[in-house]
Amino acid sequence: MKKRKFLPLWMLAAIALLTACNEDFLETKPLDSISANATWSDGALAQAFVFNVYSYLNYGGFEEESLASITDEAMFTHSGRGINVITEGTLSASGTGNNRIVPQWDELFLAIRQANIAIKELPEATFEDTVLKDRLLGEALFLRAYYYHQLIQYYGGVPIIDRPYELDEDYTIARNTYEENINFVLGDLDTATTLLDGKEITAGRASKLSAMGLKSRVLLYAASDLRDGPTAAANSAVLSSYSNLELVAYTSGDRATRWNAAKAAAKAVLDATSGYKLDLAGPVSAEEGEDNYVSIAMGGGSTVGDPAARTELLFERSHSALFTQESDWPLGGIHQGINNGPNGYHNWAGNTPIQLLVDDYEMMDGSKFDWNNATHAADPFANRDPRLNATVLYDGADWKPRPSDVAGIDPVDQIQTGAYDDGAGGKINGVDTRESAIENWNGSRTGYYVRKFIDSDPAIIDSFSSAQVVPWPFIRYTEIALNYAEASLATGDEGEAISWLNKIRYRVGMPAVTDTGAALLERYINERRVELAYEEHRYHDARRWMIAAETLGRGIKVMSTEATLKAGASPIVPYRHDKAVYDYAYASVDNTENEVRTWDDKMYYFPISRDELNRNELLIQNPGY
Amino acid sequence: MNYQSKFGKMGILHKYVLLTSILFFSGFLFSTIHAQDVTVSGTVTAASDGMPLPGVSIVNVNEPTVGIQTDFDGNYELTVSDGNTRLRFSYIGFISKVIAVNNQTSLNVTLDDDVANLDEVVVVGYGTQKKATVTGAVTAVKGAVLEASPAISVSNSLAGRLPGVVIIQTSGEPGNDESTISIRGTNTLGNNEPLIVIDGIPDRDGGLGRINGIDIANISVLKDASAAIYGARAANGAIIITTKQGEAGKPTITYNADFGMNQPTRVPELSNAVEYANIMNELPIYNNIPVSEWGAASSAITSTGSYASPTAGVGALNAQFSPAAVQAHGDGSDLYLYPDTDWFGDTFKEWAGQSRHNLSISGGSENIKYYSSLGYTNQDAYYKNSATRYQQYNFRINTDAKINDYISTKLGFTYRKEDRKFPTQAAGAIFRMLMRGRPTEAAVWPNGLPGPDIENGQNPVVVTTNATGYDKQPTDYLQFTGSIDFTNPWIDGLKLTLLAGVDQSQERQKKWETPWTLYYLDRDEYIATGNPVLNGAIRSPFTDARLTQSSLNKLNTNLTALLNYDRTFGEDHTINVLAGVTREEFQGDFFSAFRRNYLSTSVDQLGVGGEDAQDTDGFGYKRTRLGYYGRFQYNYKEKYLAEFIWRYDGSYIFPGADRFGFFPGVLAGWNINNEDWFDVKSIDYLKLRASYGQMGNDQVFFQDELQEYAYLSIYDFGSYPLDGNVQTTLFEPLLANPSFTWERANNFNVGLDGIIMNGKLSFTFEYFLNKRDQILIQKTGSTPGSSGISNLLPPVNAGKVDNEGFEFALNYYGGDQDGFKYDFGINGGYAQNTVVFLDEIPGAPSYQLQEGKPINSYLVYESDGVFRDEAAIASNTLDYSAVTSELKPGDMKFKDVDGNGLIDAEDQVRLDESDTPTFNFGATFNASYKNFDLSMLMQGATGASIRIQTESGDIGNFLKYSHDNRWSIDNPSSIHPRLASRGDTYYTGGAFGNNTYFLFSKNYIRLKNLQIAYNFPSKMIEQFGLSKFRVYVSGSNLFTIDKYKIFDPEATNSAGTYYPQARIINTGFSLTF
Repeated sequence: MKKRKFLPLWMLAAIALLTACNEDFLETKPLDSISANATWSDGALAQAFVFNVYSYLNYGGFEEESLASITDEAMFTHSGRGINVITEGTLSASGTGNNRIVPQWDELFLAIRQANIAIKELPEATFEDTVLKDRLLGEALFLRAYYYHQLIQYYGGVPIIDRPYELDEDYTIARNTYEENINFVLGDLDTATTLLDGKEITAGRASKLSAMGLKSRVLLYAASDLRDGPTAAANSAVLSSYSNLELVAYTSGDRATRWNAAKAAAKAVLDATSGYKLDLAGPVSAEEGEDNYVSIAMGGGSTVGDPAARTELLFERSHSALFTQESDWPLGGIHQGINNGPNGYHNWAGNTPIQLLVDDYEMMDGSKFDWNNATHAADPFANRDPRLNATVLYDGADWKPRPSDVAGIDPVDQIQTGAYDDGAGGKINGVDTRESAIENWNGSRTGYYVRKFIDSDPAIIDSFSSAQVVPWPFIRYTEIALNYAEASLATGDEGEAISWLNKIRYRVGMPAVTDTGAALLERYINERRVELAYEEHRYHDARRWMIAAETLGRGIKVMSTEATLKAGASPIVPYRHDKAVYDYAYASVDNTENEVRTWDDKMYYFPISRDELNRNELLIQNPGY
Repeated sequence: MNYQSKFGKMGILHKYVLLTSILFFSGFLFSTIHAQDVTVSGTVTAASDGMPLPGVSIVNVNEPTVGIQTDFDGNYELTVSDGNTRLRFSYIGFISKVIAVNNQTSLNVTLDDDVANLDEVVVVGYGTQKKATVTGAVTAVKGAVLEASPAISVSNSLAGRLPGVVIIQTSGEPGNDESTISIRGTNTLGNNEPLIVIDGIPDRDGGLGRINGIDIANISVLKDASAAIYGARAANGAIIITTKQGEAGKPTITYNADFGMNQPTRVPELSNAVEYANIMNELPIYNNIPVSEWGAASSAITSTGSYASPTAGVGALNAQFSPAAVQAHGDGSDLYLYPDTDWFGDTFKEWAGQSRHNLSISGGSENIKYYSSLGYTNQDAYYKNSATRYQQYNFRINTDAKINDYISTKLGFTYRKEDRKFPTQAAGAIFRMLMRGRPTEAAVWPNGLPGPDIENGQNPVVVTTNATGYDKQPTDYLQFTGSIDFTNPWIDGLKLTLLAGVDQSQERQKKWETPWTLYYLDRDEYIATGNPVLNGAIRSPFTDARLTQSSLNKLNTNLTALLNYDRTFGEDHTINVLAGVTREEFQGDFFSAFRRNYLSTSVDQLGVGGEDAQDTDGFGYKRTRLGYYGRFQYNYKEKYLAEFIWRYDGSYIFPGADRFGFFPGVLAGWNINNEDWFDVKSIDYLKLRASYGQMGNDQVFFQDELQEYAYLSIYDFGSYPLDGNVQTTLFEPLLANPSFTWERANNFNVGLDGIIMNGKLSFTFEYFLNKRDQILIQKTGSTPGSSGISNLLPPVNAGKVDNEGFEFALNYYGGDQDGFKYDFGINGGYAQNTVVFLDEIPGAPSYQLQEGKPINSYLVYESDGVFRDEAAIASNTLDYSAVTSELKPGDMKFKDVDGNGLIDAEDQVRLDESDTPTFNFGATFNASYKNFDLSMLMQGATGASIRIQTESGDIGNFLKYSHDNRWSIDNPSSIHPRLASRGDTYYTGGAFGNNTYFLFSKNYIRLKNLQIAYNFPSKMIEQFGLSKFRVYVSGSNLFTIDKYKIFDPEATNSAGTYYPQARIINTGFSLTF
């Protein structure tokens, strides 16, 4: 009975015991993640974190919808993606249109936050390897600068946020001026340059040269017309009536100093390394020129072309051939061929070149192409700048082997974007047109397909399960050379400009330029357009030069190709391109199917969304919205 | 594994609970008075048909511990200590009788059917209650009722049966055709799934969808505070499924066989080749030709196939389909060049087969009872030579053993194989192609060879078969349930139950993708010679075979101890006290492996794939819960009823200090008819009930992911390619929310139950108000994007939703002396939710706010008809410059909601409806006459609408509805707009495409279920040893009444890219030995 007396006590103890062990029972751990704190005590984990900061670069410019399609380089084939909202000027704070072409405000600030975490944690990280620590910090600073540079390009000055926010802070913050933004970016790039000095170079990771290259671009842009307040206001009523011009441009300071800084930054890169075949004394042959240009586009990522051309790349997005890792929707870099190739290869024709771009390739002799020149108009693809062949696929151009189901229609692997006489009073529509029997909704509306950046290795079939590993060139040496040429022109140093323009032209087989003054500037502008086509430069260049109205705002023109049988000839079955049998008629025609393009000066900047303005009442909207 | 130690721990628990029980309840011990023994015997029969009733419970009223059940022939013998006592005869489904013994030794009793069944036992959380004393909003259905449905998934048999339970079948794909179930509509922005409890084990692996319907004894649904005993998982209500137990008597062997056929309830009607060609000839006119020339262009295109515009700069327009081609597509003269393809018709067969076989044995003695079943199900898909097939094998054995008067035990074991087979293309992709397939192209060539693909090798005729490899997804479930009841010999009414559930499952996938060939016409050859040469080409998006293999292993354990005390004191006071503890653990391990570049398609093994481009993946989890809970129930003369239930629940999902929460429920009832003053003859029974409960929802799904460890600051692993290699990365998933907790439901309910007209009409009404708060939301509305965290905001417990509604059920039981019996019932549930708070972006006009409107209610532009012609555009006064640069005839008008003359984003409005119905109802009719019986269920829903926008234009076919109603140059409309190709008009693509024109009502009523059966007379079948032989025909979704008839009205898919729901016609028989 004594035992029973103590029973309640014994039971209480049992309950306590049970409860104690229960706490542990509920204390489970996630099995597939790692604590934030542990990350910064281990070099490999810290590095893994910094690697992720790169991932917000996405696929670079390799997506189905690309920046080329809101410029006079290309048009986007498919409707309903909000691209016309941008190009037709209906863009507004509540209707921001397509959200894949232009990197989005929220995404960029998210990327900046990731960089900020690394920048905050690395100096106090407890792992030993200081070389790695410096390298990672340098990369994080570079990436923060890169993402800020993107924000500035599209939105002008934005709030400068140099630390990761915690939860429940006051997030309202005003925009910093354009100048403050530029200084912030330059500061990061200079520190990154120091930290990355002497570090190993890895494709896809930022190096000292990446930081120096980006600095050159940032300074060049900062020195341009659009970014010089007085010039910008003089050129645009929308900008002159904007009461906060300091948010989007310099409103004080010396423009000549900015040009000199841009020139010096570019020169520093040109001195620090060398590009691909930029040491030629005269033009190479047309074939060699085309090969050189293809090699640069392949960036060493293909069996086609010279792997040495990789030296051009100062900062790239590299790709993996393991398609299971990179086949997420939307399809990216390894699927550039699907995204942009012809429907006759079962591809999607995303961003097809328009006539306005094709027309701007010079003749082999350096003269302009002219539709009013009967010789030019009769055979518009003959004797052109070799870069045209390397950039654009046109009717009759040779391309990869056709898929087996199309081989019967086109046994000779030539692009078919025309309509051909069938000899019986009817037309055969090319297999790469929108009247094709093969996936016609994916046919080009322009008569062209892009070739640049698509791996022409016949072993690489453009399909979901094969991968091309051509890198995306965020920054390449030739851009810096052009930057240098532009800054040289602006500072009155025409000799330097001509020298570098000619180096670039010799490499592709084009003759030297000899112009001066305004004509030289125009040659430079065209050279930059052609050399850097489809590399996400035109949109920014046309705006910062403030020539957008007469370039980006132009209506789309496309190529119409018709073949009629020569007298007495009988049609080739199946059809193939043959000038001996057919007469080809080429015409540049208007196209309004998807877009009626226009330019409004508000389009110099993207609007800040209505939602963001409502969430952060300190924000001031961009001009014109 | 260390189950042993876990059971060991339970041993300690059990010991101390026993001791506790002694301590607490020893005071209630009392002894009985002994008198003269009398032995009574007799037979109990049913009044309706005179058949003996086995298993009738007979209890000595003066000595409730003395009782017995009738044997298989309805006989009983009982010794009572006092010849003047009374005996209570009770049996489920019959009105209990209390008969005075008066020292008789022979007492034959007939029991009357109790149609209203107040003594029927209703299963509630961790126990049962008599219907008369239930105080919660509990609705139940017997397993037998569901057997009339030929649906393969039992979830599809529930619709229309349970008022307040919303059941929507969104897919009919074999193996994936389970309905989504919610209780009282939508109560939260997060996860709305009710807790499924199977044989006492909550959140049981595999859920209810694939339980063998024949094994189900009953299903109870706890809709209100009565679910509070499930604490942190009770907020969405609970569905409690109890499987069958054996009944004493000689073995009953039943064999059921069903043979059914299924087909889609509805195949969307699409345009034929001529209709499609005409549309495609019209569309280019709209984009390329000036409006003033549309009429001329249209007639030129129709008559000659080409139009040359007089306007400079506008090129010539050639018809995609020449007049001759349009003609040829229509007359079937040349099916190689001018087909008129019905893609659904070429892919589907008329009927797909299904069958079910079930063998069950039930029986046993007083001391050991058993129920066992063995089942096989086979369900084919609509496709010809279908690769999709669902097969299920299930086995169950449930035993009860009475070890002595004080100890009894139950052991249950279930094995189930769910064997799913699919083609290598998912149903979504297949139906996308079926919807897109252009009628002007061949799916199958006239000689039977498959035609070209639509895209990526996807010709539905081919990719629905095994020609592309296979995708096998077998899942095995092994589930054990064991319990021991200790009915304490010293304390009347005290019972200790120890319950354990162990569920193990393995979900496997083996997907073997092989290249496939499609056939292409050599057009040149065919045109030249008329000889159709078809060349095969590999058209899969790959040319090497590849294999994906994966396995997810799960182990769930549940250990429960329950202490139950059930006593009536005197005649008046009945109490029931329950206390329990449950400890649960859920573990899982997943891995997958991928290889490609197989040398040949003849070996489908992982080990022989190519070395390059291999890929593996894997993850694991461990989830734990611990709950203490109880119930206190009291009634006074079954007149005043009160109940308090609670749970103190801890979940691994929440941070340490706040891991436990207390969830109470209070319920009260008043059986008005038991009042002495109540003297309304026509009312047999009337009960008023009310309840309030506070419950949690720890299934905190957010952005479709269970938010585990949201309180920890962690990084997840990802990958990113650098230098050609895939590098492992670490990324910040969401910021940590250290004060993360469960959603909280505050549920109020008032109910009224009654029976009138001499038991012929029963009714139930419920009113409820559910106020859910602490719902997880991201504070995106108030957090600017520049913070960098607007995509990383942790879920915080800030959202609020109210949900209010009512339910009713009416049942009428009728019949006559000749044996004609029938019953008729209608039931319905209305639930209207309102978002109270979800941190909306400030600055939007009030008419656009989600707050104040139902969850997921549409935010759309209000379509206001169509600009019929140029005159209508000329008279337009609204500014459309933010919409389009040029208005054309056939363009859609919008309402200028804010009245500022400009159509822009401010003109969107938030509607009152979403794609979830607010009112769900059902009507049942059952009748039997002589050997025939009939059961019928009508079911419907109202209040929802669906957005229908198909992928149409050059990319795919148009709905016949679109073709027939469209604005056209020849037949302009002021209601229906011009058609567009792939959303290339402002009102079909982009922001303005989101408008009310494309919303269609989902209201419907359908004959959900019908069964007609014939039972062979016993005289005919006895000679074969059969006690029952029943044959029947049944059907499901036999007809549907709805307005638009485009997709099945239960569909939630806007574009028809889903496997449609099935209509089933079935025949079967049932043999009982």
